[in-house]
Amino acid sequence: MSKKVGVYICKGCGIGDSLDIEKLAGLPEEEYSIDTVKIHEAFCTKEGVDLIKDDIANGVNAVVIAACSPRVNYDVFDFGVDKIVERVNLREQVAWSHAPKDEDTQMLAEDNLRMGIVKANASEPPVPFKAEEDYSGKLLVVGGGLAGMTAALEAAKAGYEVILVEKEAKLGGFLNKCKQRVTFPYKELTPTGIEDMAAEVSANPNIKVYTSAKVDEISGGPCLFNLKISQNGTQITEKVGSIIQATGWVPYDAKKLPHLGYGRFKDVVTNVEFEEMAKEGKIRRPSDGGEVKTALFIQCAGSRDPEHLPYCSSVCCLVSLKQATYLKEQDPEAVSYILYKDMRTIAQAEDFYRKAQRDGNIFIRGSVEAVGDEGGKLYVAGYDELLGEKIKIEGIDLVVLAVGMVPASKPEAVPKIKAPEGAPGADSEGMIEVAADSGFFANRTLNLLYRQGPELPTLRYGFPDSHFICFPYETRRTGIYTAGCIRRPMESYQAEEDAVGAAMKAIQCIELTMRGMAVHPRAGDMSYPEFFMQRCTQCKRCTEECPFGAINEDEKANPLPQPTRCRRCGVCMGACPERIISFKNYSVPMIGDMIKAIHVPEEDEGKPRVVALICENDAYPALDMAGIKRMSWSPYIRFIPVRCLGSVNLVWIADSLSRGIDGIILLGCRHGDDYQCHFIKGSELANVRLSKVAETLQRLALESDRVRYVEIGIADYHKLPGILDDFMKVIENVGPNPYKGW
Amino acid sequence: MGDGKITQTILVVGGGISGLTAALEAAEAGHEVIIVEKNPYLGGKVTQLYQYFPKLCPPNCGLEINFKRIRSNPRIRFFTMAQLAGVSGSPGDFEVQIKISPRYVNERCTCCGECAKVCETEIPNPFNFGLDKIKAAYLPHEFAFPMRYVIDPSIVGTEEGKRVAEACSYGAIDLGMKEETLTLKAGTIIWAAGWEPYEASKIEYYGFGVYPNVINNIMMERLASPVGPTGGKILRPSDKKEAKRVAFVQCAGSRDENHLAYCSSICCLASLKQANYLMETSPEAAATIFFIDIRAMDRLEDFYTMIKANDRIRFIKSKIAMITEDEATHDLLVEGENTQTGEQVRERFDLVVLATGMAPNKVPEWLLPYVGLDEYGFVINNGSNKGVFGAGCVRRPSDVATSVQDSTAAALKAIQTIVRR
Amino acid sequence: MADPKKKGKAEGPVSYDPSFSKEVFEKVDYGEKIKMCMQCGVCAASCPLSMVMDYSPRKIFALIRAGKRSEVLSSKAIMLCTSCYSCKVRCPRKVPVVDVMHGLANYALKQGYVPREETALFGREFWKQILRLGRIDEKDLPRRYFFSKGIIPGIKKSMELADMGIVLMLHKRMKLLPERSVKGIKELRKMLEKASAMGNGGA
Repeated sequence: MSKKVGVYICKGCGIGDSLDIEKLAGLPEEEYSIDTVKIHEAFCTKEGVDLIKDDIANGVNAVVIAACSPRVNYDVFDFGVDKIVERVNLREQVAWSHAPKDEDTQMLAEDNLRMGIVKANASEPPVPFKAEEDYSGKLLVVGGGLAGMTAALEAAKAGYEVILVEKEAKLGGFLNKCKQRVTFPYKELTPTGIEDMAAEVSANPNIKVYTSAKVDEISGGPCLFNLKISQNGTQITEKVGSIIQATGWVPYDAKKLPHLGYGRFKDVVTNVEFEEMAKEGKIRRPSDGGEVKTALFIQCAGSRDPEHLPYCSSVCCLVSLKQATYLKEQDPEAVSYILYKDMRTIAQAEDFYRKAQRDGNIFIRGSVEAVGDEGGKLYVAGYDELLGEKIKIEGIDLVVLAVGMVPASKPEAVPKIKAPEGAPGADSEGMIEVAADSGFFANRTLNLLYRQGPELPTLRYGFPDSHFICFPYETRRTGIYTAGCIRRPMESYQAEEDAVGAAMKAIQCIELTMRGMAVHPRAGDMSYPEFFMQRCTQCKRCTEECPFGAINEDEKANPLPQPTRCRRCGVCMGACPERIISFKNYSVPMIGDMIKAIHVPEEDEGKPRVVALICENDAYPALDMAGIKRMSWSPYIRFIPVRCLGSVNLVWIADSLSRGIDGIILLGCRHGDDYQCHFIKGSELANVRLSKVAETLQRLALESDRVRYVEIGIADYHKLPGILDDFMKVIENVGPNPYKGW
Repeated sequence: MGDGKITQTILVVGGGISGLTAALEAAEAGHEVIIVEKNPYLGGKVTQLYQYFPKLCPPNCGLEINFKRIRSNPRIRFFTMAQLAGVSGSPGDFEVQIKISPRYVNERCTCCGECAKVCETEIPNPFNFGLDKIKAAYLPHEFAFPMRYVIDPSIVGTEEGKRVAEACSYGAIDLGMKEETLTLKAGTIIWAAGWEPYEASKIEYYGFGVYPNVINNIMMERLASPVGPTGGKILRPSDKKEAKRVAFVQCAGSRDENHLAYCSSICCLASLKQANYLMETSPEAAATIFFIDIRAMDRLEDFYTMIKANDRIRFIKSKIAMITEDEATHDLLVEGENTQTGEQVRERFDLVVLATGMAPNKVPEWLLPYVGLDEYGFVINNGSNKGVFGAGCVRRPSDVATSVQDSTAAALKAIQTIVRR
Repeated sequence: MADPKKKGKAEGPVSYDPSFSKEVFEKVDYGEKIKMCMQCGVCAASCPLSMVMDYSPRKIFALIRAGKRSEVLSSKAIMLCTSCYSCKVRCPRKVPVVDVMHGLANYALKQGYVPREETALFGREFWKQILRLGRIDEKDLPRRYFFSKGIIPGIKKSMELADMGIVLMLHKRMKLLPERSVKGIKELRKMLEKASAMGNGGA
């Protein structure tokens, strides 16, 4: 688009007192031949906004507002999607944080303004992506248990069409095996209601059910997912907009618990076996079909145990309380012992604990040392913490192991891959064990035709859950959400609620994608990466590094971007050595030009220059906070916000150094196990890439100290001035960039 | 999507993490949303937390993303210092009254801070539970969204008030503002009014409100925050001495039929997390957690395992029966029974943190025809809701992830109400 | 103070026997309420006499669950409750601990468990004082109790607790002067005699 740039310099909030505004206002015309430059006491006022609107009416279509942070007055300075608005921060990051009427402060403001103008010049209004294919607004739900059926029904109630695929012949999932449920309000047992629910699903005109079916293949992306479903030997194709995986859980394998008697004594059963027995009609001793007068439930059988499942399976306390209730109902004289570590009945479920106590069940806090048999009955020996003594409970008819939940996606064996040459830990066949978290190893359910593996990547313990506390539905595959116990162990009440939320996210993904917009966390963003394929060298970095698996590959290793899968973080743009990936309003040349716009003083002026590439989500607001708190830092640093540190292309570092910039600092989010990067691994990738730069620098006889990566959280703003000043000291020590003035 | 022509607004009451989430999820799916928040800022309780468990990450990180989502979404409007004051009509066609308290600062505020410079009166800082003071012309906290000052009513009508108003060069201070009530139309309502810590002074034998060094867990969050009233040093209120020996008293009110019969779900993890805050303040600091059961559900167990491995954090299974103060030192004597050894516990601490539970904010009488409550006052979402749905901690005591999950679900329930007609 | 760890420790592991808890639930006044106990221990630490009890109330309930009949019925703890109600008002499960303890004491007596010597002595002194004053003199009762076993043990026990007595006096929790009898002591005595005659004399 042909640009007409207008520059608007605000004097409000102390900016006018801090800077020589007249001088600053001369810059756009002198350096960029921009003749529309206005100054106002406060552009955020109606009069100020009207000034800008008048210019827009007269042809200005790129508005550079040099005033406060873009974090404020976003609504005031919104002139429609077809206008480019660039906000130059002169308030928080200049006037409020640097010495007034100072040469260095003025130079900082000038550089900020230059960068803003250059950026506005390089930006184009985004045009939303629209594939040529027809878009589908249907949902696919994989798994027809409680969570899957709930998701399907709730989406259908909101007017969406749903395809439900269940591997068994009958809908219902695990609840088909259950006699009753314990759910809100946790006063008494309630019927599972699962058959009614299955009937409701089958009768719902918006839901198409495939039972005894599985998903053979999924290709495409949100609104363009093409499915192959096989059912009774025939293959059906369908197209959907988004996907919910609700494939549930499997009980922990009790065969791994021989120390608790499983497999050794017939009358040691799991809670699942107990449930089936109860559902069938009568709880008996499996050994001889005899009466159960005394039962003992061993809680955390495998769970909360580093040898088995280190996590808590969340439901087993309630399940045992429920099952003790069955026994009480069958035989009021029967006694149930519940041997527990901690009784975990959270929220209103505490009421059911009380009910089980009122029923006269006996609770023992302690541990099991041995399970054995004596004269046809079982005994459990252990320690009672609250009695402070060893115990041996004899005459038990049935021992029930409260085994925990394993996500259905978790492979039984630890996956192995071919070990790299000489890698330690490889077995005799040259294979090495790996964490099963990449999407390649999970048990097959979705069969995604994705470059980065056929299944959802998982967290520790195999749950494809979100790592984000604030955004619990975020998986690493766009438009694919998980619901219920596949996500984390949860009781049925929570699984139902969880499924409603997942349906919401799946619907939202469809709505946004239909409008050509990104989903979380850049929801509504209409830019998307475009690839200049003629220059691609098939290096595969973009296809490998995309945190969301959005880019496929053809046989020749050409990247095949799937824009509806894209989250617009720009990690591919940062990865590409050929710099062929660009967004309309964010690109490698754009940031390169901004760096080039910085005026670098001559060496003898003693004014070093540092470029700080900072995460716009966390580091940038932190810097604003430091400004709001009137903290101060070196005026020699020029801050450039980036979508994610993962989008930082190393050429920017080369650009900076070749321009005579003395140092570069990257400020990004915490990475590692508890990463905070909103794009999963952007900050980590930046760090890795940067470590490679250090070698290059040394080869160029440049000190690797000139480049630094620092993790910073949004709340760490009080540390920022220290971090920055510390880096400036390092730069002073290493001295001026020898390439200055070249 | 059915017809794509939805014009009915979703009203979300409460702008905490639950309300924000419900509003954003609905708005990003294409619906019009209005948020009503009683505080002068959005974000609710989580803005006051130092870190989230188990990642020990700052709440502002996720809030900033959510505020960014609001900024970039014209479908969301919000009112701060506002409360729902009345509802009439039926699902799909509610008429709601929204009462807005005067902020005395209008949208012209640029947040320059000149008003605070001339203001001399100080008030107990509500954001820090009165643990420090703030000027009567103030920004509620540095991350406040919207970023706009507030004038405390105490200086309205005074000479000082006039001086403060005159200090503003943008005409942003309007001391003549009055409470006003708006009437709006809404198709459905999400009640996400959140919770308050259980009023610990009701547990008389713990001395909260009597002994200065007995605090609740939410106050502890402010003490631990590097930008809180003590600059992140855990200083006890009586003498600003650094607290080295700290007791965490679990189930302070929760799981107690004399107070809250239910379990508040989050207090175990909150105390584990806060014990960790303490560990970071000094190598000599030591924490004792007095508990009945440690309820670290699902993968949160990992966090418990990590905290248990710290030998400066002790776990004693005991419900505390009595806290008394040594009048001379303001130290606290904590008494209980170590139920695992049978020994009586009588220990001295610098500071006691009561793990107070969650009490849901009360649903007004006039809303009850539209939504049911359980015996504890939590909102029930089932088939009987009449266009009004609960979201987050008004439904059950829950942590942030669960609240967000629940609020996402509530958004869909609300949408179903307005698309069906 | 008795060592709760030593007391009642059997030779081998404890064999849980539900018949005793059943007996308690069915036959002891308020016995059924014990079911609700979640072993938090608040009763133990609330009890002003826990220091002289062999088992805390919480532990008594644990012993009942374990089926330790004779330990429970012959324990000092169940005989010592002074009905201060601290435990009952604090119990998060609303177990009426006071009533349960009295119920157990009563039941123990009916079952032929005679209070041990010291408990009996304490009870006798307690009772005598009530009849004399209509109230308990917090200095006089322990003194009489301590000295009831002879002069030497009396002095020894008094010395042990002298410090606490001083602190209590400093905090005005204990009066220096002897207590006087309540108003209407004669009427009270008549009531007590009547009650005693009706067989509800308590422990």
